[in-house]
Amino acid sequence: MEYDENGVSIVSNEFKKEIFEEAKKDFRYEEYVKGCLNCGVCTGGCPPHRFFDFSPRMVLQNCKSNDPELVWGMMDEYVWACFQCFTCAMICPFLNNPGGVIAILREISVRRGFESAKKVLKPYSRVLLKLTAYGNQLSPDMIQPDFFPDWGPHIGYASQDLPLKRKAIPMPTLQVTNLAWDVAPEAMKELYTIFEEAGVFKIIEVVDPALYEIIQDIVDDVRSE
Amino acid sequence: MAIEIRNRLGLADVKSDFRHIAGRKIENIHEELLELEAKGEIKVIHITDANKPIEAETLFGRKKKIPTTKLWHHKSCGQCGNIPGYPVSLLWFMNKFGTEYIDERNQTSCTAWNYHGSATSNPVGLAAVAVRNFHRAYELGLFPLIHCATSFGDYKEMRNLLVENKELRDEVRRIMHKIGRELVLPEEIVHYSEWVHVMRFEIAKLKKYDLSNIITTVHPACHCYKMIPEDCIYDKNIYAGKRTAVSTGVALALGAQVADYSTWYDCCGFGFRHILTEREASRSFVMDRKIRPMVREANSDVCITQDTGCTTTLDKNQWIGKAMGYTEQVPVMADVMFAALACGADVYKIVQLQWHTTDWRPLCEKMGIDWKKSEEEYKAYLEQLRSGGKPENLYEYA
Repeated sequence: MEYDENGVSIVSNEFKKEIFEEAKKDFRYEEYVKGCLNCGVCTGGCPPHRFFDFSPRMVLQNCKSNDPELVWGMMDEYVWACFQCFTCAMICPFLNNPGGVIAILREISVRRGFESAKKVLKPYSRVLLKLTAYGNQLSPDMIQPDFFPDWGPHIGYASQDLPLKRKAIPMPTLQVTNLAWDVAPEAMKELYTIFEEAGVFKIIEVVDPALYEIIQDIVDDVRSE
Repeated sequence: MAIEIRNRLGLADVKSDFRHIAGRKIENIHEELLELEAKGEIKVIHITDANKPIEAETLFGRKKKIPTTKLWHHKSCGQCGNIPGYPVSLLWFMNKFGTEYIDERNQTSCTAWNYHGSATSNPVGLAAVAVRNFHRAYELGLFPLIHCATSFGDYKEMRNLLVENKELRDEVRRIMHKIGRELVLPEEIVHYSEWVHVMRFEIAKLKKYDLSNIITTVHPACHCYKMIPEDCIYDKNIYAGKRTAVSTGVALALGAQVADYSTWYDCCGFGFRHILTEREASRSFVMDRKIRPMVREANSDVCITQDTGCTTTLDKNQWIGKAMGYTEQVPVMADVMFAALACGADVYKIVQLQWHTTDWRPLCEKMGIDWKKSEEEYKAYLEQLRSGGKPENLYEYA
């Protein structure tokens, strides 16, 4: 993909059409995009609408317009503003699901390795590594003051004597520091097969090739144990 | 029934002799699930008498069976990693009631937090992970009890997608065969807060402290009641059946006051991606849309949650608010942790409030709990462990 001097992608109308068609072909699309009365109740209740230039009503209206240009216009930063809380889906009188549409568009953005997706997900790599290589997402040793300075001085509590404090949690599965719980290797191996078969590893390879290499090394190690 | 509500303390306790349950016509997933089972397309984990189920009414009036025993605990990444007192409090209650359960390592994350944050998965991946974990419960003869609200929302959605889409079922079945498992779905997707809700009167019998002067504000989790809302519990005796009843129900059963506030329906600001990589949004949301209204409108003593991400987001983001003149503070904990405190669970060893950021000590003092004694005992316990002592666990794990 080409970019202008401001980093904005330059794409053909054909490509925009291709992206829109890819969204419409998703088996969830028709379930998520129904009639829109433009009532705006979704946007009125939308949490990120208060802080970002983001409107679930516009997501639906752009899809209903059938104009690839308008849908393409949401593919960069716009889709990443959504909180995925599904307030819009719950309150829509027509049973539309703008949050679900966002999920479809994000999937396309990641699957195709758009620069905007790579940029947004760059700081996310630590989480991706934990989840895809070890089977759960948040470990106690990730809660460090230098990563979460805005969480206040008490956050340091978790980084001092952590193995001892984890041992004092009266659930044996939790008495580890490098994982949320001590995932059994057989469960990890099954997860790897699922990720391979479902194309999840391939997505990570597209969006972050260096991270993919690290994950594959860990996967190989666990499999060979 | 004419009811006048004079202040923010009355709404949760409003009862109604009629609950309007008409509205959307939705496909009955539960009937279709059983049809697929009859055709041999899927296997179903049924809720049997052995699970000692208790029924609760859902949004559109369907009765949902909540199994109360023979449970397989399906863990939450954030709870286990960051709020350990959350699952510990739940298991502490289960031990009190003699509930049969297994807490084990042979499970993976639902992976949905990552999906909603980064989109680096897809419906096949999410559904296969869900079925993999369901099958593990199935082979043990147990019913999956889901700890995390995002897992709960994701699994409800995946269950619906699997029931409605043969192609997805075929693909997931193919993957399950590769890992030696089968396509299994539970009869109901059940969240731990639903277990707490149907057990609330039993829980209240264990109450040790008077909570009549404690003002709670409930933050309901979006992925509990906004994702597949028709599968959530509503009760005509709680908010007159107009809001989901879980969490509020147990607070009321314990005799605490439950106050309304104007942003009850708002999310916490977690945002899945935002809490990790764009926290300015999360913390602004926390302070402006949740904590300030809870304190200013309701004078809340404690914010009661029902999910992992909400508990973390609301608890951790209050300290930084001071830099911008936000002086309002309120301790945050899950319904089951608050209930455990009320029933005499140890503040440090069981409820594990020492991991929380916003000060919870004033709440303990108002409840009449001697947290200093608990702290001293915990410190002594840590020293015991340091010198090679054996941990006091809630269960034995082979």
